[in-house]
Amino acid sequence: MSLAIAQGILGKAPTTRHAHYTDFLDGNGQPIDQGILLFYKAPYSYTGEDVVELQGHGGVAVMQLMLQRCLALGAKLAEPGEFTRRAYLNDKLDLAQAEGVADLIDATTTQAARSAIRSLNGEFSSVVENLVSQLINLRMLVEAMLDFPEEDVDQIDLDKRNKQLATIRDSVRVTLETAKQGSLLREGAYVALVGQPNVGKSSLLNRLSGEQVALVSDIPGTTRDVIRKEIQIDGVPLHIMDTAGLRESSDSIEMMGIALTHETLQKADLILLLKDASRADSTEDLEILRQLPKSIPRLLVLNKIDLCLGLLPNPADTESIAVSAKSGQGIDKLRARLLELVGWSNQENGIFMARERHLIALTDAESKLAQAAAVINYPELFAEELRLAQASLNSITGEFTADDLLGEIFSRFCIGK
Amino acid sequence: MNFPKIFDVIVIGGGHAGTEAALASARAGCTTLLLSHNIETLGQMSCNPSIGGIGKGHLVKEVDALGGAMAAATDEGGIQFRILNSSKGPAVRATRAQADRLLYKQAIRSRLENQENLWLFQQAVDDLLVEKDRVTGVATQLGLRFNAKAVVLTTGTFLSGLIHVGQANYPAGRAGDAPAISLAHRLRELKLPVGRLKTGTPPRIDGRTINYAVMQEQHGDTPLPVFSFMGNAAQHPKQLPCWITETSSRTHDIIRSGLDRSPLFTGVIEGVGPRYCPSIEDKITRFADKDSHQIFLEPEGLTTHEVYPNGISTSLPFDVQLDLVHSIKGLEDAHILRPGYAIEYDYFNPIGLKSSLESKAIDALFFAGQINGTTGYEEAAAQGLLAGLNAALQVKEKDAWCPRRDQAYLGVLVDDLITSGVTEPYRMFTSRAEYRLQLREDNADLRLTELGRKLGVVDDLRWQAFEDKREAIALEEQRLRQTWVNPRMLPNEDAMRVLGKPIEHEYSLYELLRRPDVNYASLMTLPGAGAPVADLAVSEQIEIQSKYQGYIERQREEIERAQQYESLELPDEMNYLDVPGLSNEVQQKLNQFKPQTIAQAARISGITPAAISLLLVHLKRGFRSNTISQSEA
Repeated sequence: MSLAIAQGILGKAPTTRHAHYTDFLDGNGQPIDQGILLFYKAPYSYTGEDVVELQGHGGVAVMQLMLQRCLALGAKLAEPGEFTRRAYLNDKLDLAQAEGVADLIDATTTQAARSAIRSLNGEFSSVVENLVSQLINLRMLVEAMLDFPEEDVDQIDLDKRNKQLATIRDSVRVTLETAKQGSLLREGAYVALVGQPNVGKSSLLNRLSGEQVALVSDIPGTTRDVIRKEIQIDGVPLHIMDTAGLRESSDSIEMMGIALTHETLQKADLILLLKDASRADSTEDLEILRQLPKSIPRLLVLNKIDLCLGLLPNPADTESIAVSAKSGQGIDKLRARLLELVGWSNQENGIFMARERHLIALTDAESKLAQAAAVINYPELFAEELRLAQASLNSITGEFTADDLLGEIFSRFCIGK
Repeated sequence: MNFPKIFDVIVIGGGHAGTEAALASARAGCTTLLLSHNIETLGQMSCNPSIGGIGKGHLVKEVDALGGAMAAATDEGGIQFRILNSSKGPAVRATRAQADRLLYKQAIRSRLENQENLWLFQQAVDDLLVEKDRVTGVATQLGLRFNAKAVVLTTGTFLSGLIHVGQANYPAGRAGDAPAISLAHRLRELKLPVGRLKTGTPPRIDGRTINYAVMQEQHGDTPLPVFSFMGNAAQHPKQLPCWITETSSRTHDIIRSGLDRSPLFTGVIEGVGPRYCPSIEDKITRFADKDSHQIFLEPEGLTTHEVYPNGISTSLPFDVQLDLVHSIKGLEDAHILRPGYAIEYDYFNPIGLKSSLESKAIDALFFAGQINGTTGYEEAAAQGLLAGLNAALQVKEKDAWCPRRDQAYLGVLVDDLITSGVTEPYRMFTSRAEYRLQLREDNADLRLTELGRKLGVVDDLRWQAFEDKREAIALEEQRLRQTWVNPRMLPNEDAMRVLGKPIEHEYSLYELLRRPDVNYASLMTLPGAGAPVADLAVSEQIEIQSKYQGYIERQREEIERAQQYESLELPDEMNYLDVPGLSNEVQQKLNQFKPQTIAQAARISGITPAAISLLLVHLKRGFRSNTISQSEA
């Protein structure tokens, strides 16, 4: 098909991987445009199929004519992502690489783009493949012990099992950490901003994001809805959720806002508790602290230090940072601490663009390996946990069958009496 | 002439597949004819004199749970019984027996002769009668025509069999038997996917010339294991030991010097041999750094001196065989009774079969055993039983039984064969079964006997015994669940002795049994635990079930997830070239394999998860347009 289209436009058969500088011909042999035509013969193309590439001058009318000409020659319009899908189906890219393409296109920050290209280059895949091959090696030894007890195979004793398993678990842990960084770049973190009415939540949000997004007024309880704003700090997207205050209210609209706040807090990766440093502690502050989910990390932000002449209040056992949303004082320090608390380790090198799917798979593998450690004395149960751990990892890179495993065993050991 | 009697099912071949097929078909109530070229060799063990082993023992127990003969015949003919992997867990634990060839053959023969509905006839089959892609019977060497509603082919290595010893070769089915040439030609004409495989045997040795004194002795287990769920140790004949010796570096030198006359290494043999059962010349070439390989000397029977040296299968010229045997410790003066040889034979790639083992191309024609590219008596028997049963079910116009992968090794075996095909002889291993923890030898009856009863292959005697056992398990389990152990009533020394630590609150006996290091026998010694059940099979079952419950439940979830794809059928007439988005390779593979379900398609190598999602989309679309066109019509 591609060849026919190239021939129709070029007026003759194209040479593979040759840049033809040529007229682009219409159905009557008349030029539509002038430009470069490249023909890639399968499998040496992006998709692995025959591909023809046309580089013209552009312009709406010319583009339209060229498109019509190609359609008349039998082309059809590509669906979104179709080239990459074909590349994947033709085994030019594996799944993690294909996702890397999508991430590269979607990348909004340079850091994200860099890690996406790493995934596209197969770095993430090769790290996972390395994990898988370590796991296969251990499984091979365990399965050989189970299926060939009378053969001349290395009997993998408890000590060896323990050592190999520990090494694999370490590798999985490191990979998971790295992948989490990538996921942070891709998915960002959710930060909930809470505090009493009128402590300056909206102003702080404005200051952090540098834009006007929330209504700032002096009437307590203005912010009735959760307002979301995405900001980036060092390339890490932070989804800030500005919530209604947590105070008793009889206003039904405000009560709805409060319910929404609770819901938001449950999902947050970090809670910023905002206090007015110029005012003394009130029971409402204590109430807010009491209501926060214990499991989520939190940071106390003391706002309005520009209005505060004396000593800052310093509540026990909660980390705090003093800022002024109005003047910008302390904001850089807040930003840096914020990143640390959502888990950003600022090691840009070696980060892969990991998706939620990858994290789930790695986490699942990690927990199966932990289970394996618990049953290491029971070979067939140990083998079962290893099988499941590998199945989790395979969901990232592709399938591995029992027959492949047997192949490993037969190539390593002399099996057969 | 046309044979006057019309049969429901004809089974061609009297090996392990054929005999189980014929017995199953007859048990299921079909008038069955077993045709063999030689009635004297029914149930013959052509290779090593042993039955069972890891993965294989599992199959034998399944065949037994479905009323088959192999386990029972082994109990009557077995001269050494062992449980392998006994310390590694119940799922990989497996029974293996050395068998006296004659006693085993007799046990099979007597079952065949006494089976109701079953007729035996000695004639080599030359031709299949096929009308409009449906088999209607067979024709024999003498021109006799037998008509039947279904035919099961179990011809083993006999199809165009070719035996090699050094550079000499001659057509044969196995040493001493003629091959089936006409039938092989006829089957090739039917355009079934045919290929060539290779297997081999070692030279056999006269036991009187072996110096056992320098070898390691290996005895069977005590107490004596039993194979059949219906068997007992009293059935076993006198027991014999096996002996272990090994090759030396001189043996390896002798072999290397003969490689230039080896049919394997000079390219004369085209068929592919099994990686897990290599010839000795293969072993020393592929694992050149090993200076010794173990050899197991297995007695062939109580009434013969013949010994099977397991581990030196070879097709080297006889003079090399003689030297290599004499270079082995204890065999310096050994006399070879029969030369070792390799045999090449035709097989039909099982991707041409449905999961009932019926041919996709020719209706009512079933294939079982080595003809499908498997090795081993056990794999053959399991397929034979399934093919015979399904042939009978078809005659009775009932649905075929296609065991699932989570149900039986039999299901794993057939599914592997039809979705992956065969490129080397296929042998069962437990690592092939992803649901290994539930496919155990010990529960083969609980998994399959009720099903077998419904399908008509389990007789009253076995059914009664099974129901008694099942009820005893249920009763004892209930008793354990309802018997409570109170911490205040439990003396500390008893708690430490049985449980390893004191209990903090009240537990039922069943809960305590679930702990990994607690066993039934010692649990029953706790004060107030009551009387243990006498039947060890019952207590063992309760113990394993209680400990594996969590794993089995987790696997059940995995199975249920997979199950949705098992039930999504792909129509036979589906042309995969019409499925947009699939790569050419995938389209061709699917057209070649013609999987019956999405799940089968997913297990074909090279079929990616992405291709499966495209198939699902295509199925959904197709289904919608079909229903629209139906409602319009």
